Amino acid sequence: MRASLFITCYNDTLFPETGRAVVRLLERLGVTLDFHPQQTCCGQMHANTGFRAEAFSQAKRFVRLYRDTETVVIPSTSCVAMIRDQYPGLFEELGNEESRKDLLALLPRVLELSEFLIDKLGMDDVGAYFPHRVTYHASCHGLRGLHVGDRPFRLLSKVRGLELVALDNLDRCCGFGGTFSIKNAEVSSAMLSAKLRDMLSTGAEFCTALDNSCLMHLGGALHRQFAAMRTVHMAEILACTESAELPA
Amino acid sequence: MSAEHHSVVLDPRIAPPFPAAALPILRNSQLRKNVAHATDVIQAKRARLVAEKTDWQELRSAAAAIKNETLAHLDHYLAEFEANCTAAGGHVHWAADAAEARQIILQILRAENATEVIKIKTMTSAEIELNPALEAAGIHAVETDLAELILQLGDDQPSHIVAPALHVNRSQVREIFARRMGRTDLSDDPEALTAAARSYLRKKFLSVDAAISGANFLVAETGAVTIVESEGNGRMCLTLPRTLIALAGIEKVIPRFRDLEVFLQVLARSATGERMNPYSSLWTGVTPGDGPQNFHVVLLDNGRSPILARPVERQTLRCIRCAACQNTCPVYRQTGGHAYGSVYGGPIGAILTPQLMRMEHAQSLPYASSLCAACYEVCPVKINIPEVLIDLRAQVIDQERSKTDRAFDLMYVAMRVANGIFASAARFRLAQRLGRIALWPFTRKDGWIHALPSLGARWTMTRDLRGIPRESFRAWWAARPKVESRSGEKS
Amino acid sequence: MTPAASSRDIILGRIRNAAAADSAPAPDHSAAYIRRGQLHRPACLDLMIERLREYNADVVECGPAEIVSSIEEVLRLSGRHTIVAPPGLPGAWRVPGFTWRIDDSLTYSDIETSDAVVTASFAGVADSGTIVLHHSSAEGRRVLTLLPDWHLCILRASQVVETLPEYFDRCLQPPALATYISGPSATADIEMTRIKGVHGPRFLHVLLVHDEDSSQPQDYRKGDHP
Repeated sequence: MRASLFITCYNDTLFPETGRAVVRLLERLGVTLDFHPQQTCCGQMHANTGFRAEAFSQAKRFVRLYRDTETVVIPSTSCVAMIRDQYPGLFEELGNEESRKDLLALLPRVLELSEFLIDKLGMDDVGAYFPHRVTYHASCHGLRGLHVGDRPFRLLSKVRGLELVALDNLDRCCGFGGTFSIKNAEVSSAMLSAKLRDMLSTGAEFCTALDNSCLMHLGGALHRQFAAMRTVHMAEILACTESAELPA
Repeated sequence: MSAEHHSVVLDPRIAPPFPAAALPILRNSQLRKNVAHATDVIQAKRARLVAEKTDWQELRSAAAAIKNETLAHLDHYLAEFEANCTAAGGHVHWAADAAEARQIILQILRAENATEVIKIKTMTSAEIELNPALEAAGIHAVETDLAELILQLGDDQPSHIVAPALHVNRSQVREIFARRMGRTDLSDDPEALTAAARSYLRKKFLSVDAAISGANFLVAETGAVTIVESEGNGRMCLTLPRTLIALAGIEKVIPRFRDLEVFLQVLARSATGERMNPYSSLWTGVTPGDGPQNFHVVLLDNGRSPILARPVERQTLRCIRCAACQNTCPVYRQTGGHAYGSVYGGPIGAILTPQLMRMEHAQSLPYASSLCAACYEVCPVKINIPEVLIDLRAQVIDQERSKTDRAFDLMYVAMRVANGIFASAARFRLAQRLGRIALWPFTRKDGWIHALPSLGARWTMTRDLRGIPRESFRAWWAARPKVESRSGEKS
Repeated sequence: MTPAASSRDIILGRIRNAAAADSAPAPDHSAAYIRRGQLHRPACLDLMIERLREYNADVVECGPAEIVSSIEEVLRLSGRHTIVAPPGLPGAWRVPGFTWRIDDSLTYSDIETSDAVVTASFAGVADSGTIVLHHSSAEGRRVLTLLPDWHLCILRASQVVETLPEYFDRCLQPPALATYISGPSATADIEMTRIKGVHGPRFLHVLLVHDEDSSQPQDYRKGDHP
């Protein structure tokens, strides 16, 4: 099984450990991974802020880069949602016949990490060991955009030693929303404080999700408050085994 | 709103941008509590009824389809409605904008020598700023919906489409009734307050000879008008006076009487979490001996027809004003409606208000959303609000592109620069290195950033930020011992 | 002053221009929402009664031969004396022992000072517990069921359907007037506390007449015969 990793611009820069965990995990499962060094960004930030022409130029670049790739794996629900939900409209409006064809051919081959594990590899037990109490945060793009459904729960339930605690108000947005967290920082923070209350009341040591963008926002506040909880991308949990623990 | 009452401006032309408008409200913990409580109650009721309705998704599809069909032939259906309503003894007027609508209504009332008019709650009349115009013309408008009465007596503004006074608590109501109704004898028990409103309004219902209403649906096939309500004040206003004026946005029309079998199933479940509203009324023109004999419909455009021209935005006009989107929105939950600076707040307000303003005002509203899509999930007519929000953002940026002072807009410049960076991997790698260097002075020993200047301060006001690690993922990958891949591709 | 006619042209013109840009596919009406009910008649009637009682309407059941005696009993127990009757209400239903005001241009004051009103109805929808009035002569003009505080509504079992689409099936033509009652007048405008009986009758009584022969298939298209 071969796959090409699209690390995403923000994971590459701020959360390289998530990328390293994805590599460790997938190679352990027998996947031959490659990495196109020309990759940069999927264009989500620009699309969602209203810079459509700019987003399209990035989208075009993405499609060109992966046109001949068998499978693209992306450890970010928001980026996959961008590609799946918004690329068609962008290419419809700004692209030509040929680029639209390329996009439509590529779309089924772009998978978010949990989709890759469950749907492509057909496995929910990835041989992970993580003896901690964990709560799962459902990022909106994964929940309503990709409909990841029970995939993350299936994966977490098979992690040995992991105690999963349910998060109240699971389907309510954490308040990140990309540039919303800057433009509407106060409202974003109000939503964040409500989400933190739900997280902390689980008594979990870790809050995990399929997307580091939410976790950057949640984790940043936990760190600010010296809270006894950390955020960690699910890839890093799944990459842990008895002999390979989470780095401190 | 007693001591904390701040002058709420619901005019998009002069309201402060959303982030600024939200700030004082975020400091009002009582209002936030009221909003959270109200929206929780309705959401829970709605969820229970939706779970029980096994054909809920099919009803949504049908409702969206009927509205799409209507919008695709709106001119035809409006003309059909006009013909049938007129044939049944009603008078139909067309108002291109708010000023004209006010003019038409004033003309009708003056012809009746009206000095007072009773009103059923209609957001549309607030949209056209009707009450001040009536007062200026010496016509006293009496709001008969309890929430609207509370707001009117309290010199306040609606904060929610269906429960406009949800930001007001019972002791505030008691104080308002004492001050404006002269009822100093009342406790703050909602029963007592409601009974006071009931007797105050009863006198009005039986004596005032002109009424103004909105409309939930205009039926093209028959010329009928439908209004749904809970209290019965609607039935009073629709039945007792001699003159009735129904003000309706042009998007309120539906093709057939039969279409109500879909809308009457989705509207109340979405709006108030009931299977049907306590009272739904339908009437056609004038019926001799029953109800108002002088009946007028004012069809209002006021910025709606241009919305039809844009393929993505057109779905905005499917809205049936149920407010389910407001009840589910996590942003609205924190701010209530006043932060949106418009009578239409929440997700629908964020897309409708800027468009009614022809994108000349309220440009901050499309950004008043984290794009979580909870609204889309509950909308009974399947308006993809996030899709519209993103398209409106694109319109705002396109406006920005032609502005001469855009170089001073830090976010605009940052986005343009970022785009240049993402165009090449080499530039991206360089930007990563430069970014790490630029953030180095702010990065503490533990690798975290606690405070940033400028735009960054908007992040660090409540959150720390991970400093940029020394080695990016791609640098780590590039340095790994390689296995040459079968295709010969450099890994 | 802008003449209304030209605004009409302006608005319709804008709409036509906009629609010309519409390349969206034709909408799909085949959405399979529920049209026919699934319940057998007894269960459907039970549901109607349950929904009515959920919103505190009082329900009494009787057979067709007991309509008059049931009306008499309900009115007697109510303690109400002055009762408004629509002009087409069957004479036998205006039971003795009460002051009947038959609506022939009654004034609002006449109606307001009455204690109660008795009417027939057009249909009942069990799914939502809705009583439908089409304001025929036996149901009365709309003010009759609006001003009095107490309303007794005679609803025949044969008029009850399960789903809202089935009610629309029954409308051989659309009514000019209709009132759909699905609950007591209520408000939740003060702190979401539900208060009943704001305007409109605070007391709704329903006499459900079991007029269906359960061994025969029913023809439900009985028009508005009370």
